[in-house]
Amino acid sequence: MVVIVSRASSYRRALGEALVEAGRLSKDVIVLDADTPNSTGTAAFARKYPGRFVNVGISEQDLVTTAAGLAIAGKVAVASAFAMFLMRAWEQIRNTIARDGLNVKLVGTHSGLQDFMDGASHQCLEDIALTRVLPGFTVLAPADAAATKAIVLDTVLNHPGPAYIRLGRDNAPTIYDEGEEFPIGGSKVLEDAGDVVIFSYGPMLGVSEEVAKELRRRGVLAGVVDLYSIKPADSATIVKQATKAGLVVTIEDHRVVGGIGSLVAEVLADTATPRKVLRVGVGEVFGASARSYEQLLQYMGLTPSRISSIIMGEVRWA
Amino acid sequence: MNKLTALPPHTGNTSDPGPQIRASITEDLRRARAKLRMIMREVNNWHEVSSQSSLNIVAALYGIWLPIGASAGIERVVVVSKGHMAPALYAWLAAKGVIGDDELSTFAMPESRLQSHLDAGRLDTVVTNSTGSLGQGLSIANGIAFAAKVDGVRREVAVILGDGELDEGQVWEAAATASSLGLDNVVAVVDRNMIQHTGPTEAVKPKEPLASKWEAFGWYVMEVRNDAVDIAAALENLSHVKGKPKALIVRWEGGRW
Repeated sequence: MVVIVSRASSYRRALGEALVEAGRLSKDVIVLDADTPNSTGTAAFARKYPGRFVNVGISEQDLVTTAAGLAIAGKVAVASAFAMFLMRAWEQIRNTIARDGLNVKLVGTHSGLQDFMDGASHQCLEDIALTRVLPGFTVLAPADAAATKAIVLDTVLNHPGPAYIRLGRDNAPTIYDEGEEFPIGGSKVLEDAGDVVIFSYGPMLGVSEEVAKELRRRGVLAGVVDLYSIKPADSATIVKQATKAGLVVTIEDHRVVGGIGSLVAEVLADTATPRKVLRVGVGEVFGASARSYEQLLQYMGLTPSRISSIIMGEVRWA
Repeated sequence: MNKLTALPPHTGNTSDPGPQIRASITEDLRRARAKLRMIMREVNNWHEVSSQSSLNIVAALYGIWLPIGASAGIERVVVVSKGHMAPALYAWLAAKGVIGDDELSTFAMPESRLQSHLDAGRLDTVVTNSTGSLGQGLSIANGIAFAAKVDGVRREVAVILGDGELDEGQVWEAAATASSLGLDNVVAVVDRNMIQHTGPTEAVKPKEPLASKWEAFGWYVMEVRNDAVDIAAALENLSHVKGKPKALIVRWEGGRW
């Protein structure tokens, strides 16, 4: 049973747990934050390992570049901030971390529409576009708490080099069991492609599962694939699943330009796979403040029922 | 909190390290200046002033400060923030025979290790970080210095900053961070050459009172004239200052460029 949003499941709590575990396993792990440890979840690490935690204050450019210095000195630097404000330091990320291939793990929390209350300024809809263009970067977007724990721990401990991990806030679906593994470059076929295949990641994977159910009720079989590894992407699975289906759909809480809407279209174009790609996400608008996550999804047209209707329209035309 | 009870003199403590070092560095600098002129002739004097004013700083850090550290068992690291002074470093390395004239003549060629701005991926034996974007070096230095504090090892990190570069807000983010973390193993060497891209710094965006600005951020400040041996002597004095990050403002007194 998939739950779209669960108050009990939290990306940031999972991040805190993963970092504490990483800190226990490696004394080289240093965590940095920019005055948001209680919000991002890094406070758990700060409490456990205060000597290996740095709060640089509200200065994200300094945050990521100090992390770069720690990486140059041989540390595994994990810099966490709200996704939107990490992107304030994109040029530093590009010119120092990416260019020198430094072992810095950037963790952006509150991404997409997850920070419903804080409104348009905080709702980061561009982070995947901005990080997947960077040479040598790994870009990962776990869907739930179990995936967050596994991906953060594995990336921090086992994969030297620059990475961006995109996290939400609290409203995580529950999809995976603890102990599930998420190799970089992989994907998870939750349901095999039918008439339709849906590619998604992060919190929208829960929405996608609901969309698939709704479509089934309307007589349309839909597969669901979790593209948690956005870069490198599992191109083979994208092509295989797209080929099986008549219609390809991408669902994301990010701009369709530069997100997996673009990614899937690029993979299909590169491999001459002739499929229409219906790209669901955010277009030429910004978010808004809302009282709840569900209310914001409603406002942005990203509820399961709305998305199902759009897909049904396409299926009838096909 | 500053644990210092007695600070060294505020300015001008530049005790001469000895006539021998002064003579050898003078000879190295004479050759480095010739190498720099050689590079500049080929690239239409690209950022010429910045390299000229940095050459004494390069000589002090790479020619005196690093070797003294090595012989004293202190791990010392130089971070370059104003990456457009790359020709000064290349000229110095050529003067010391680390790179040959053949390679020096490849400066800024696509396949050269000697990129216009220092490139760590190509010259990782000499430089710690790639450059070209201003305002980042102090943050990098802080990270390298903090790692040493975590590991409990003695490491001193010097970072070469331009004065025009101080317009970048990140420099002051990092200045506050160094102070807040008590990074007394960081020394910011500011090349106060009084000029930036558009013209004189005080006409573009005034930097003065510069020493007071660093002091206000919790730094210990020394000022020195732009002379390699004087800079090196000041750096050794600063090495003994504990409890605060340190700024060494290297003043150009040669008039207008």
